[in-house]
Amino acid sequence: MEYKVEAHRIMSISLGKIYNSRVQRGGIKLHKNLLVSLVLRSARQVYLRDYYGGICLSAQQAREWCEGEYMDSEQDRLVPGSTESLPESDGQSEVAVDKQEPSIVVESHAALDVESEARGEQDHAENGVLDSGCSELKTPESPEASPTCEVSNVVTTISSNCISGPPPSNPKQATETPNDCQTDSESVEENSHEPIVPHTCTNRKRSADDSELTDSLPKRTKVMSPTLISKNDEKKAETEEMDTSNVSSLITIFGSSFSGLLSSEDGAQPDSEAEDSDSGQICCDQMLKNLNPWSTAIVAF
Amino acid sequence: MLKYTFKGVGGGNDFQWCFSQVKGAIDEDVAEADIISTVEFNYSGDLLATGDKGGRVVIFQREQESKNRPHSRGEYNVYSTFQSHEPEFDYLKSLEIEEKINKIRWLPQQNAAHSLLSTNDKTIKLWKISQRDKRAEGYNLKDEDGRLRDPFRITSLRVPVLLPMDRMVEASPRRIFANAHTYHINSISVNSDHETYLSADDLRVNLWHLEITDRSFNIVDIKPANMEELTEVITAAECHPHQCNVFVYSSSKGTIRLCDMRAAALCDRQSKFFEEPEDPSSRSFFSEIISSISDVKFSHSGRYMMTRDYLSVKVWDLNMENRPVETYQVHEYLRSKLCSLYENDCIFDKFECCWNGSDSAIMTGSYNNFFRMFDRNTRRDITLEASRENSKPRAILKARKVSTGGKRKKDEISVDSLDFNKKILHTAWHPKENVIAVAATNNLYIFQDKIN
Repeated sequence: MEYKVEAHRIMSISLGKIYNSRVQRGGIKLHKNLLVSLVLRSARQVYLRDYYGGICLSAQQAREWCEGEYMDSEQDRLVPGSTESLPESDGQSEVAVDKQEPSIVVESHAALDVESEARGEQDHAENGVLDSGCSELKTPESPEASPTCEVSNVVTTISSNCISGPPPSNPKQATETPNDCQTDSESVEENSHEPIVPHTCTNRKRSADDSELTDSLPKRTKVMSPTLISKNDEKKAETEEMDTSNVSSLITIFGSSFSGLLSSEDGAQPDSEAEDSDSGQICCDQMLKNLNPWSTAIVAF
Repeated sequence: MLKYTFKGVGGGNDFQWCFSQVKGAIDEDVAEADIISTVEFNYSGDLLATGDKGGRVVIFQREQESKNRPHSRGEYNVYSTFQSHEPEFDYLKSLEIEEKINKIRWLPQQNAAHSLLSTNDKTIKLWKISQRDKRAEGYNLKDEDGRLRDPFRITSLRVPVLLPMDRMVEASPRRIFANAHTYHINSISVNSDHETYLSADDLRVNLWHLEITDRSFNIVDIKPANMEELTEVITAAECHPHQCNVFVYSSSKGTIRLCDMRAAALCDRQSKFFEEPEDPSSRSFFSEIISSISDVKFSHSGRYMMTRDYLSVKVWDLNMENRPVETYQVHEYLRSKLCSLYENDCIFDKFECCWNGSDSAIMTGSYNNFFRMFDRNTRRDITLEASRENSKPRAILKARKVSTGGKRKKDEISVDSLDFNKKILHTAWHPKENVIAVAATNNLYIFQDKIN
């Protein structure tokens, strides 16, 4: 949940920067806006993964309550409780997990496998790298910290095939959590019942540090335009669904500006757009107004 | 081969930096136009030029060492001040063009006058700075006031004589190189042939002849056919110090391309491609931003080049493309603060870097008016501060330290106390001596080594 908020915040800030660059003296700075758009893309990808992880969560929970015992036995297999890497059991449990996965979201199981394995490989490499930030992890609710730092890259490559987030229970992540985040094994097992949303540890570190830095860093870019601010407030007060619909609107809008950003995530839209409410649409329009200048600017260049 | 005479940067027994001068207003209220945007010594080091956001250029000249104090180095005093660029308006795009001086580069001196190139976002100008310290008196056709004499009243001829006068320094724009860049110019670099120079903007590099203003050659063009596919921009470019056919340009993706102009008219295909593979463990939202190279500088020898990205300085051997030979962390403690630095725009700050005359040391700036020096031979490094508190004449600069751990030692400053508004982006090192110029917002500090 924290990551979603963080990613969302970064996206809002990025959009604010792009918006403000229009009115800056000296014209739009191509370099800066390119970098901001890269950050925006990364944040959006993480945000979307969180969202789709959330979808898996709600569906998974529903199935769990129906299939209690069956689930437990599966989970036992998935959580060896050790810190070793178990690529073989990964393969097996992946298959088991796939069977349980809600049919709503998943397009391609094969793609999911690839994604998990790719992340698994990365987890190997990155195990134990991120320490201090992760030690702040307390709530059992928080998603497992996959120390994968190539989430956005993975998503980029995978997103063309698959729209959903990670499989609900990734044993690799479950085993690695104690390593990286020093949560106790109990909460690990607890968490393994819930879908695990991978996220970069660095984000958690960042949000922890941010609270420290709030006072000390004097210059804050107060970049929110009135429309953006009202939209953000609105967003925070809204439900998850609303947030997601705004994001999906963003994606649609950005689709016209950055072809690389969008890739094939258009396929993801039907789900979220089905949940679109009216106020989501209004936000979308506001965003549209704000973002058009950027696409105009790009074309002008 | 340059002899290693540099005794050390790390505050060792032999070597220490001390304050020499500071230029600029003391006022706490800094006018935006006074913010220094570029600093550059000329080839001899006798002249030091600064450009500011208001489009002005100020040139300081080193006074001759006085006979009374033969061992004290001369001071830098204002030699010339002129308005190089004015704000302009592009009517076609409805955009204002900032007058901020992005770069100044000196031309090699060919006669009594000095010449430099100064550029803003769109236009490069060649300025000639000449001085007059004599004037002619005793004209035949006009009297001392300048009024024309009545020709019938002239009964004899005389030869005008040259008399000394107060030194007058004039700067005049000799060439204006305009309308060649669609995007914002970030670099200019004079070629070793002393006839040509290159200018680079976000997507293109142009080659000019110093005498010809109405055309330039485009030698690099990375603009994609579809702008929506843009993934990287050019961030800096420089000519090789000795080989007039070689130049490099750096990109926002952290790569450097070396090009040979003999290979093709359009150098889109590089001769060498320098890139260090990214460390996957340090990936974050902001990895791309912090890997963007803000400055690239060849060593004086021409064998190495140095690049500056947000957190580090890297020295590359031109013969090895797959990784740098040296990497120096400038302010690694900022890695965990990247999100906040992104919010307040500090992450976009473009730090420059420079070599000393013998290529044995490098220098770059940081925040809180700190700047860092790295000795390549001893591997020692030092952090110094440019501040008014340390501005007593000949005061030795104390090494500063940022505490990263939990416990803060005495005299250390914690990361959270750093003033991110006080950034040192521009520094310059005298080409021959241990004299450095450090631009701290609107003040220019000059430091030199301690006279033993």
